[in-house]
Amino acid sequence: MSTQEFTTHSAEETIALGRKLAGMLAPPKVVLLRGELGAGKTTLVKGIAEGFQAASADNVTSPTFTLVHEYRGPEVNVYHIDLYRVDTPRQLETLGIDDLIAENSVLLIEWGDKFPSLQRDQNAEITLKHSGNERTGDERRIQLRIY
Amino acid sequence: MADAYILGIESSCDETAAAVVRSGEQIVSNVVFSQIAMHQPYGGVVPELASREHLKAIIPVVREALADAGKDYQSIDALAVTQGPGLAGALLVGISYAKALAFALDKPLIAVNHLEGHIHAVLLEERQKGSFSSSEHKLNFPVLALVVSGGHTHLYLAQQQGESWSYENIGHTRDDAAGEAFDKVAKLLALGYPGGPIIDKLSTHGDPTAVKFPPSQIKHPDRRHQGGGVESGDRPRMDFSYSGIKTAVLRYIEMHGLQGAIDDRRRALSDIAQPKLEDYIANCDRQSLDLVASFQRAMVDDLVGKTLAAARAYDAATLFVTGGVAANNELRQGFERESAMEGLPVYFPSRPLSTDNAAMIAAAAYPKFLSGDFAPLDFSAEAGLALK
Repeated sequence: MSTQEFTTHSAEETIALGRKLAGMLAPPKVVLLRGELGAGKTTLVKGIAEGFQAASADNVTSPTFTLVHEYRGPEVNVYHIDLYRVDTPRQLETLGIDDLIAENSVLLIEWGDKFPSLQRDQNAEITLKHSGNERTGDERRIQLRIY
Repeated sequence: MADAYILGIESSCDETAAAVVRSGEQIVSNVVFSQIAMHQPYGGVVPELASREHLKAIIPVVREALADAGKDYQSIDALAVTQGPGLAGALLVGISYAKALAFALDKPLIAVNHLEGHIHAVLLEERQKGSFSSSEHKLNFPVLALVVSGGHTHLYLAQQQGESWSYENIGHTRDDAAGEAFDKVAKLLALGYPGGPIIDKLSTHGDPTAVKFPPSQIKHPDRRHQGGGVESGDRPRMDFSYSGIKTAVLRYIEMHGLQGAIDDRRRALSDIAQPKLEDYIANCDRQSLDLVASFQRAMVDDLVGKTLAAARAYDAATLFVTGGVAANNELRQGFERESAMEGLPVYFPSRPLSTDNAAMIAAAAYPKFLSGDFAPLDFSAEAGLALK
């Protein structure tokens, strides 16, 4: 297991970090994205999708309602999944996340902690914390853990 | 031309729906199967997302739509189905069923973009009222359409060539959709789900000027520039961003110590089986009501302001505002007031046609039916389908 920590101070820096993290997330990966509302999860995914040349940052939007967003890159497909609205294992099952796990896919799953089955499948974890205050401004601590 | 009865099928996300529409101008039947109401009392956000659920619902829903219309499979002229955007698995249920039906009945099949459906919901209802039927009162192009819902916030410029419509996306959200911001703010404030209607109602009880939210900042690194010809010259993109305001509400709650009151409200409301507006008001302190009203005002100002700026920049002749958030009263009033000042006619769908339905799919299919734009039998679901 390896753990690395980063600090960013703006959305731009968070996106840039995402591009860098893409280089550390060799597929296949099931990544749980942890962080409260407003922690910067979608912003980080913008950078990761860009890093895999799967989408431009502007075109990566929140999947809260649409549940699964798919970004196809030349070598890697990135799936951004938001389980905020999903409550039961049965619903999760019918989403067919298992079918998305493949040699060339990276799954980034928000609110995945709710489901033990996903915790079993995960082989990486990214935790975001808003650590800003009046002195530090828009600061975020971002931790990458690869199992 | 003789009347054309089109059976529309929609299964892109939470709802399984089927409808029969005559010639893009009259809803003959409209059936929507949704579980939101069923789950609301439990306070949980339980979307009917499962393709398996679509699978169970689709046959009875289609049968009901045909029965309500007094039609049978043979007396339909064509089938229309949502191709995307949406959940691949959910879309596939509708598409596979529509393909099989079209093949068995030997009827043409039309693939429709879900977002185009929302735009045509407006046109369908206006035609049903008799609008746009004469040369003095025709629909003037270009039409600027704001499609605003839980999953989408898009601005399209629509043109017509012959019977066919074409679309240019001139703006979209860079992060959260507007409806999502409403739902997440409602959740932060323990106001239940879905958040839009309750925020709309509570907003009239608070002071919309109490809390100032900074306007959303959009940077345009990808602005089409240099040598793009006349078309791409000075026509700006009009993108939206609603992740920031959701976070701003969260920070406001933290900084002003509102969490205690919110927890009290969550407990009090969970004791009431189906809380009514009075229950919400009774459990909302002044600060929460002001925050809700200010949030809604900021959302409305941003949506109306950017849309009308786009209408000016692109010389729109008509404005459509559609999608679930189009049901918001303050938003409608804002659009009506501001577009009247600019002499720009604005149209909205009724509440039932604002949210996902299949009548809009059958209506959007009609121009394609007229121009013979049929789908090959090997077409498939496209989760990220763009509207062009």
